[in-house]
Amino acid sequence: MRRTLILQEEPIDEATLTEARLFDEGRGTGAVIYFLGVVRGQENDKMIKGLHYEAFAEMVERQFELIFDHVERTWPIQSIRLIHRTGPVQVSEASLWIEVMAGHRGEAFEACQWVIDEMKRVVPIWKQPYGLTD
Amino acid sequence: MQINTRFYSYFKEIVSGEELVVDLPEGSTLGDLLEVVFENYPKLREMRQSTLKAVGVEYQKEDYVLHNGDQVSLFPPVQGG
Repeated sequence: MRRTLILQEEPIDEATLTEARLFDEGRGTGAVIYFLGVVRGQENDKMIKGLHYEAFAEMVERQFELIFDHVERTWPIQSIRLIHRTGPVQVSEASLWIEVMAGHRGEAFEACQWVIDEMKRVVPIWKQPYGLTD
Repeated sequence: MQINTRFYSYFKEIVSGEELVVDLPEGSTLGDLLEVVFENYPKLREMRQSTLKAVGVEYQKEDYVLHNGDQVSLFPPVQGG
């Protein structure tokens, strides 16, 4: 399974990511799922300008390594690419981009959902709203 | 032995810093270290159940026996995505 993990402060460039998509012609890619996590304009009923993401980078890498290991053991996934922003992310910008490629949609959907759920449980990233208004 | 203890997210505000060096006897556990931290920062004790604990880049339980030079990290529930 090909793996890509990037933590970055810069906005996520979807066009470049899409252009770099690498299909597995040998085994046959039949499903590409990608998901964007986007910063909402409200946090606890207050309007915000954005979220500031803090990461414990070395541990983020290790925990995603364990997550990807589990995916590889559980589903026939060909590729996972995951980008997570750090630092300030404005409302309506993506903080997370994940793409899962597989032979069939079932395993791709299941793996993608599991990775996001597990990330929210174990990957040491935190967010803090900024620019709060009533 | 001396254990570097790092804090993340709002735990940094509670301890007014990012890192503490905690002196502990040999053979001390992660739970022993937590007790020392909680004595100094009682507000953190209220969050004991939800506090996540790591040594290096791995999660560990309170019975983990620490070694000189270990890097401990304490932080609240994670919120990625």
